[in-house]
This record gives sequence, C-alpha cells and structure tokens, in this order.
Amino acid sequence: MKSKIIRIIALMCMLTLAVSLFAGCAGKKEQPSSEDTNTAEDTKQVEEQKTDVQPEKESDAKEFENKELDIAIFQGAYGREFWDALAEKFMEKYPGTKINITANPKLGDMIKPKVVAGNLPDFIYLNVDDPSGVIKGLIKDNALMELTDVFNSKALDKDVPIKDLILPGFLETVFCTPYGDGKIYGAPYNYGVMGLWYNKNYFDEKGYKPPKTWDEFFALNEAAKKDGRALFTYQGIYPGYLEEIMIPALYSAGGQDAVDAFLGYGEGFWSSEAAKMTLEIFKKIATTDNALMKGTVALNHTQAQTEFMQGKAMFCVNGSWFEGEMKDAPREEGFEFGFAGVPAFKEGDPVVALVGIEQMYIPAKAKNPELAKEFLKFVYTDEGIRLNGEKAKAVLAVKGAVDAVKDYITPSAYNCYKAVESGMQPVVGSFKPVASGSKINISDEVYKPFSSIMNRQMTVEEYAEKMEKIYKQVREELAAQGN
Amino acid sequence: MKKSIRRNVFIAFCILPSLLLFSLFIVYPAINVFKTSLYQDSGLGNKAVFIGLENFKTMINDEVFYIALKNTGFLAATTIAPTLLIALFFAALLTSGKIKYSNFFRTVFFFPSILSFVVISILWSFIYHPTMGIVDSFLGIFGMELELPLLGNKYTVMWALAITMIWQAAGYYMVMYMAGIDSISRDIYEAAEIDGASSFQQFWRITVPLLWGIIRTTIIFIINGVITNSFTIVKVMTNGGPDRDSEVLLTFMYNHAVNANMGYAMAVVVVVFIISIILSVISNRLTGEQTVEI
Repeated sequence: MKSKIIRIIALMCMLTLAVSLFAGCAGKKEQPSSEDTNTAEDTKQVEEQKTDVQPEKESDAKEFENKELDIAIFQGAYGREFWDALAEKFMEKYPGTKINITANPKLGDMIKPKVVAGNLPDFIYLNVDDPSGVIKGLIKDNALMELTDVFNSKALDKDVPIKDLILPGFLETVFCTPYGDGKIYGAPYNYGVMGLWYNKNYFDEKGYKPPKTWDEFFALNEAAKKDGRALFTYQGIYPGYLEEIMIPALYSAGGQDAVDAFLGYGEGFWSSEAAKMTLEIFKKIATTDNALMKGTVALNHTQAQTEFMQGKAMFCVNGSWFEGEMKDAPREEGFEFGFAGVPAFKEGDPVVALVGIEQMYIPAKAKNPELAKEFLKFVYTDEGIRLNGEKAKAVLAVKGAVDAVKDYITPSAYNCYKAVESGMQPVVGSFKPVASGSKINISDEVYKPFSSIMNRQMTVEEYAEKMEKIYKQVREELAAQGN
Repeated sequence: MKKSIRRNVFIAFCILPSLLLFSLFIVYPAINVFKTSLYQDSGLGNKAVFIGLENFKTMINDEVFYIALKNTGFLAATTIAPTLLIALFFAALLTSGKIKYSNFFRTVFFFPSILSFVVISILWSFIYHPTMGIVDSFLGIFGMELELPLLGNKYTVMWALAITMIWQAAGYYMVMYMAGIDSISRDIYEAAEIDGASSFQQFWRITVPLLWGIIRTTIIFIINGVITNSFTIVKVMTNGGPDRDSEVLLTFMYNHAVNANMGYAMAVVVVVFIISIILSVISNRLTGEQTVEI
C-alpha cells in the first residue's frame, strides 16, 4: 500500500515536471511595451504632449488596414526607453494601432530562429555588424525591403522630403545603400563619431595642442616620454577599433577614392600611395620607441581604455560613446575627455573623423510593411529626435539634431559631434558585403594582423601583400556571383 | 508476468519524458548539424543550397582551420595529462588523512569549478595583465621584463591559456577522484599497511587500479572539456589573438556561424565531433583493459 502511494506520488511529480518543461516551448505572446515598461514619468509626458498632438491628429493620421506592428529593437547602449516612448506617441497619433516591442541586448540571437522560420518582425533596429550576423545575412540573401520611397516622401511634420533632413552623404553610405546601386535598404538611426581621444586637462596644463597632422602627432612622443606615458594605445585584442584610424587616414591620404578602394576591394589598392602612407603610420607606431603602450596587444577594450584614462598613454581611439561607456572607470586626477579626430597628412588639410551610423530595417517579408514605413517616418519627426535625445541620450542622423538634444548628451559627446559639424571632415565607411556564402570575414582579415604588425612579427609590406591576395579572392568571389 | 508488464510500462513511462527531451534537444539538432554541413547556408532562413562536401573541401584549404586545429591539439596535449595528474595527486594527498585542514583545501581547489568560465577568464586576463598583472610584476622582481605581453605574444599565448585551463579543471576532477577514493574500502589499505606497503605503493597498487573506472570517465570528460571550454576562455581572454595565434576550433566555428556561414560552421562541428569520438575511442581502448573490479 505504502509503495503504491509513493509510486503515485512519483508519477505525479514526473508528470508535472514533464508538462512544465513542455510548457516552456509554447510561444509566449509579447506584451505591448506600454504595459510593462512605462514609468510614471513616461505617462505624465504622454499626457502633456497629448494637447500638442490633438489638433493634427484627425487630419494627419492615415488609416491602415493592418493595425498591428511588431518591432524588434536592439537594446544596446541606447536602451529601449526611446522606442517605448515613441511607440506610445505613435499609437496615440494613429488610433487603433498596436505596437509590440521586442527589445533585447541579444536581439540578433533572439530573432534569428524567427528569421529562419520566416516569421520576421515588421521593423528591426539592429546594426549590420551585429555579431549575430542577422542583418549581414539578410543583406546577403536580398531579404530586406527597399526604403527609397520612404526617403523620397514628405516628412510627417515638415514640408520637405525626408532625404533632405538626413545629414549629407549618410544615405549614400554602404550602411544605407548596401548594394551600392543607389537603392536605400537601411535607414540611418543614431550616428557616432570616432577618432583619437586625449586628456584635455592634461594637454591644457602642459600647453600641448591636439595634433592636426601626423608629424605633430609623432612629435608629441618626446613630450609623452618625458611625462612618463606612451604616445598611443588601442583596444588590443579587438584590433577592429583601428579602423577608426585606418579609414580617416586613408581619406586624408587619398580622398574618398582611396576609402572606396579600401572598402570596395579595389584592385592594386594595397600598393597604392594612400595605402602605403597609411600603413606607414602603423609601422611608425609599432617601431618607434615609446609610441605604443607596453602590453597593448593583450588588453581588451576596457583594460586599454582604463590605462589611457589613468594616464598611461597620451592617445586612445574610441567613439563619441567613450565618456558614457567608461563612466565608472578609474582615471587620473583631473581627467577630461578631449576629442582630437584623426590627424591629416598634409599641413592645412582638415582633421578627419570616422562616422558610424546605426541602422533600421524593414524585412522584405514584413507582415505589415505600410505601417512599418509610417513608423519609420515617425522616427524622423522633431518629436522623434527630441525623444531620442532624452531617452536614448543619442543623436539621430538628422541635420541640427545635435543642438536639439544638447541637454541630454555628455559634454564630450556634444563636442565630438560639434567638431564634425564645424570643420572636422567626417568620413563614413563600412566594407562592401562580400559574396554570399563567402568564408571571408573581411573585417577580421584586415584588422587582426595588426597585432602581428604591432608585435613586429609582421612587416607592413608582408601585410599589404597578404591583403592583396585576400582582396583578389573577394573580388573573384563577387565576380563569380555577377556582382 | 502481469507484474513485469506493469513494471515495464512504468519504466517506459519514466523514461519517456527524458527521451523526448533528449531527442528534441540533442538528437534532432545533432542530425541537423550533419545535414547543414552539406549546405551553403547563411543560417538565416532564405536559401540553403546543397553543395555536397564543398564545405569540407574549403576547410582543407583554409589556413585558419589548421591554426585552430593545431591550437586545440596543443591545448589537449598540454592540459589533459597535467590536469588529471594534479587532480589525482591532490585527491590522494587530501584523502590520506595526513594533511591538516584538508576540508579547507578541498573547498579551495574546487572553487574554480563553481566560477563561470567568463569570470575565470577575466580573472586570468588580469593575472596576465601586462602592467598590473601579478605574473608580470613577479617577473619584474627578477629583472625579467617581458617585451611582449604573455597574452599578446604568439609564442606564449597558448601556454598562458593552457595554465588557465589546468587551474580551472584540476579541482573538479580532484573532487571526482576524492569521491572515488572515499568509496574504496579502508580495509584494503589497512591490509596493505600490515603487509608493509609504503604510501606510494598503496597509491600505485590500490588507489589507481581501483579508481581506474573513474579515471577512464574523466579522460573522456576532459577531452570534451578542453574542446568546449577553450571557446569561452579564448573568446574572453584573447578573442583569438594576437592575429589568429590563439584561435581554437570552436572559436573558428563560431566566427563563421555568426558571419552567415552556418553551413561551413556546421562542417567544422562535424569535424570536431569526429575528432572527439576518435579521441574518446582511442583513450577507451588504451585504458580499457586495466579496469579492476572487486
């Protein structure tokens, strides 16, 4: 009798266990964002805004057959609050619509199975270089919706086409026109500015000037040595950060053509004058005494950046997010972020800065593309710009956005963006996608060997030779696919 | 008769949930791995094209694959034997009853096993830190300043990683061996002692043979452990660098998987799978005959 009871209990336990395990498999429907994430502050905001929006509400709002929109948001440095707030505003303006937000720091990995199953969100904010490779894959598979019509259409709150609002040159970049045929597939979201950073306070105290040319840069090495610091450091085990020097330097040496040849696998690029001049800088950093901070190659990004902030190196590469990223990191007395861009080769040429653009996409298989496009236009309204500054502390790739959000971003970031608006030459660039199915990860191929260059275990000539071969292979693979 | 049927039904019923889960999460994906390795597949849905053994052909000509294979082999060669020997040595020492505070040491040695691999990797990347790491400072005392950092030099990086892996794994196997040693009857040792066997003889003639079953299991465990755990450690500590000098098979696989080359990545997995099976079979064969049962 007793054993029977035990048996029954065991059975029940097991059953519960089995059922509960399978219950996990059932798809959970995502809740609309407003329910779980809205803070009291948000709601208050909405109420305040309501009066502003009311008058134009009826006249403006178009009717959409399908009123449900699934958006997928990469929850990175900019968080999700902006999207929650924006969706809230959108739903108010277009009554009856319902926006479901999926936001996750690992969004790429999260939506990957859905993408595989053909169950795509209507709108994705995720960058092409996301490690999950989702966007890269969608581009390679031609699975994104063309957005050119959105940018040709009138802005929701202004009487100009949206493309005129976007910062000049941005829509022509490979971020937005990935196939280089003038058709827009990626919509620019935030942008970031990258280049060399220095300790402003230390420079002011010592009377040093941020370098405008590479000669001035290397001349500072003497002063650096005297002060017991190295000239330069970078994010050692992630040598990909060196693109922040590579691309601007190429631009300075050979203009947009050199950058295009570099990013587009131009024939003979690596033996070109621009490439040689640029590689010479790296050679000089690797071989000049005191130029590269000791141990740099083995450091990860936080370690290298911390060393820089503690005064172990005079310069470090990074982007406009630097101050926010390192807000808890220890630093030397009086440390103040200063942005120097990337020096030019010739006296009198402008200092250059690399600009990176975050992207938003609508998949070709989106279930509700019309509403998704309307939502995309909504991002570019003044309301969107302001909300983005307030909630995401970021700057939309729209003219005048920097000043509109000045109160919300760090002073160093503001200066950094302002520098680009006032004289510093912005250059954008990302590698042209390699052939679909190619085994080459071009960014790894190009930047990883820099560790060997910095260790003086590979010369820049050997490097250029190796790269020429890889570029040839990329070109051949692309040609084989008719690109 | 009737009772045994009921018993079998009950057993089947007990097994069923795990069997289902096992099939769903282990067998089915494993079959898929083999299938995908024959396709050119971005891993993102759209068009998977059947290309036969093309992925494997590409692999044969892929330089980085050989670097990864070599490094994984290096880790296996340098970590497996030391880890198990250290584990066995400490297990014997701590169970011998001659060490004070043996419970304390037991906990200390097991400690790395309860830390996540990421934590261990970050910990060790600070130990190897070129300016504030303990290793560099220690060498500095003797005036042996390293020109290149341990993790940033292609000649030292794999050794540094191997030491981390030994440190990480030794405690885990030690605890397994200790459990095994505890289950060996004290009578045997007492008898041996009366016969005048030394501690070393006892260890070699009693402990090792009676532990052999467990040792065999741990060898299989650690072969797989080296292959899988090296991923996290490499990813966090060096990201495969400097250049490609610390790339291992699974980081190589991962880099391709996330670069929209799922088919190729799965071909690498197939190779890893075959390698681990072969190594396990070999080790089983080599160690098989000596199992002693009481």
